Amino acid sequence: MSKAKTIALGLLILLLIALPWLVNPYVLQIVISTITYSILGLAFAFTLRVGLPRFDIAAWWAIGAYTTTTLMLKTHMSFWLTLPIAGLVAVILGWLFFVIVIPRGMMVFLMFGMVLTLATQQFFGAMKFFGAWGGTGVVPQPTIGPFTFANKPELYFLGLILLLINLLVYYALFNSKIGRAWNAIGSSLKLANSVGVDIVKYRMANVLIGNFFLAIAGSYLVAYTLVAVPTTFSFMFSVYVMMYVVVGGLAYSLTGPLIGSTVITFLPEYLRVAKEYETIITGVATILIIIFMPMGILGLINLRIKPWFVRRKEYGRLSGGANK
Amino acid sequence: MDLGLFFQLIVNGLMSGGIYALIASGFTLILGVMKVFNFSQGQFYMLGAFVTFGITSSLGLPYPIAILAALIAMFILGVIFHFTIIHWTLPFGFFHTMLVTIAFSAIVGQVSLLTFARDQGMVSEVLPGTLNIHGITLNNGKLLVIAGAIIVMVALYYFIKTKIGTAMLAAAENKEVAQLQGINSERIFWVTMGIGSGLCGIAGALIVPVLSATSSMGINAFTRAMLVVLVGGTGSMSGALLAAFVVGIIESFAFQYVGQLSLVAIFAFAGVLLFFRPGGLLGKPLPIPGQ
Repeated sequence: MSKAKTIALGLLILLLIALPWLVNPYVLQIVISTITYSILGLAFAFTLRVGLPRFDIAAWWAIGAYTTTTLMLKTHMSFWLTLPIAGLVAVILGWLFFVIVIPRGMMVFLMFGMVLTLATQQFFGAMKFFGAWGGTGVVPQPTIGPFTFANKPELYFLGLILLLINLLVYYALFNSKIGRAWNAIGSSLKLANSVGVDIVKYRMANVLIGNFFLAIAGSYLVAYTLVAVPTTFSFMFSVYVMMYVVVGGLAYSLTGPLIGSTVITFLPEYLRVAKEYETIITGVATILIIIFMPMGILGLINLRIKPWFVRRKEYGRLSGGANK
Repeated sequence: MDLGLFFQLIVNGLMSGGIYALIASGFTLILGVMKVFNFSQGQFYMLGAFVTFGITSSLGLPYPIAILAALIAMFILGVIFHFTIIHWTLPFGFFHTMLVTIAFSAIVGQVSLLTFARDQGMVSEVLPGTLNIHGITLNNGKLLVIAGAIIVMVALYYFIKTKIGTAMLAAAENKEVAQLQGINSERIFWVTMGIGSGLCGIAGALIVPVLSATSSMGINAFTRAMLVVLVGGTGSMSGALLAAFVVGIIESFAFQYVGQLSLVAIFAFAGVLLFFRPGGLLGKPLPIPGQ
C-alpha cells in the first residue's frame, strides 16, 4: 500500500476508535444503525458477486433477531451464546429453502427472496409465540461478567468488532479458492460451468455464509434495541439494502456497502425534512444517482476524481478493482 | 364445509386470480420484451383503481368510461415513465433499471399515501344484487371482475398474434436481430411498457366496485403477482394465467382458515411446486434475463 493510503487508513482507525468521545450520543446511535446496515449491505454485495441479487435480507435479519430474543426470553441464555446459534439457525433454514431455489436460477432466486421477506414478516406478526405484531418482550442487555453493554459507546465498539470480523472473513474468502470460483461464476456463468465450476454448490455456500452474518446482524440489533418487532423487517427494507450498495458502487464489494449505508443513513438527518417527505426525497435522489452516477460514489471517485490527482503511471490500476 | 361457502371461496379465488393474471401478464411482458423488472407494476394497479374511483365519483361518469379512462391514463403514464426514466437507465443494465423502478414505486406509494389517505374510495356497485344458482348466493360484482379479466386476457392473446404482438415477441427474443428485420425496437419498448401498465390499470378499474382503493393495494397485489409468475414459470404468459387462478383459489381458502398466514400458505405452495416442477406449471416462456 502506498504511503498516503497507509496514513489515511491509520487516521481512519484512530477516528473510529475515538468516535464515542468526539460525537454526541444521538450521532453515535446513527453510527450504530449504520454499522448494522453496513453488515446487511455487505451481505447483499457478497451474494451479488455470484450473480444473485438477494432480496431476502430482512428475512434472515429477522430470524437472527427473533432467535436471539426467543432464546434469551424463554431459556435465559446468555446473549453471546445466542449469536452462533442464531447464525446456525439461519444457515440451516437457509439451506432448506435455497436447496429448492438456487438451482432454478437468478430470476427465481430474486423473486423468491422478495416474497420470503414478506412471508417471514407476516409469519412473525401472526404467531403469538413471538409476540405477534407488538413484538417480543424486552430482553436483558448483554453482559460479560459484571460488565453490561448498556451504553452507546460499548454497543458501538461491539458493532465495530462484528463488522470487522465480517469484513475480514469476506476478504479472506474473496482471496481464496472459493473466491476465485465466485469470481468465475459472477463474470460468466456459462463459461464457469463449462470449465467445471459447480455453480449451485458455490452459490449455495456464498448465500449461506451471507445468511450467517445476516443473523449476527439481527442479534446485534437486539443487543441495542432490546426487542424484536415485525415492522422493522419490512419488505421495502430488503429492497432498500440494494440502494446502499448501488450508491456505494456495485463494483466494490467490501467498501461499497460501507460508504453507501453511511451516506444514506446520515443524509436524511442533515436534510431535516418532514418525515412524510423522506421517502419521496430518497426515491428521487436514488433515481438521480442511478442516472447520473451509475458507478456509485466510489466509482465516481475512482474513475472521475482520482485521475486529477494521481500520476500517469498509476492509470492502469484505475479500472475499479474487484476486491476493493 | 357447506356448499355455499365453498362456492363463495371459489369465486373469491377466481376474482383474485383474474386480477393477478392481469398484473402478472403485464409484468411478464415487460420482463420478457424489455428485460426490465418492473417493480412499480403494482402501483399502476393502484393508480388505475384511484383513477376509476375519481372519474365515477367526482366526475360522475358511467363506469365503462371510467374503465377506458383508467386504461388510457395508465398506458400514457407507463409511456411517460419509460421515456423519462427507464430509457436512460436501460444502458446501465438490469440491476440499475430495477432499482429505478423500486425507487419509483416507493415515490408513487408515498405520494399516494399523502394525497389519498383520507379518500380511500369504493365505487358504488355496477351490477347490484346477487346471482342465485341452486340456492347459492354469488356476488355480481365479483363475477364481473372474473368476466372482465377473462375478456382482457383473451384480447391480449389475440393481440400477441397481431403484427405488433409478433414484433414484441421478436424484440423479446433478440432486440438487435429484430431491428435488423426492420422492427423498431425502441417503439416496441414504449408500447410494451404502456400495455403492461394499461393491463394493471384495467385490473385496478375492475376491482374497485368490489374492494375499496387503498394506497397499499399495489404492493400486496404485486407480491402475489410475483408468486404467480414463479408458479406459472418465469417468462410464460399462459403459465401465468393458469397459475393466477390456482394461486387465487389457494389464497382464498387459506385466508378462510389461517387468515393472515395466507401469504405464507401460497408461498409454501409455490416452494413445493417449484421443487417438483422447476419449470413452473406450463407454457412456452419468453426469454428472460439471468440464469
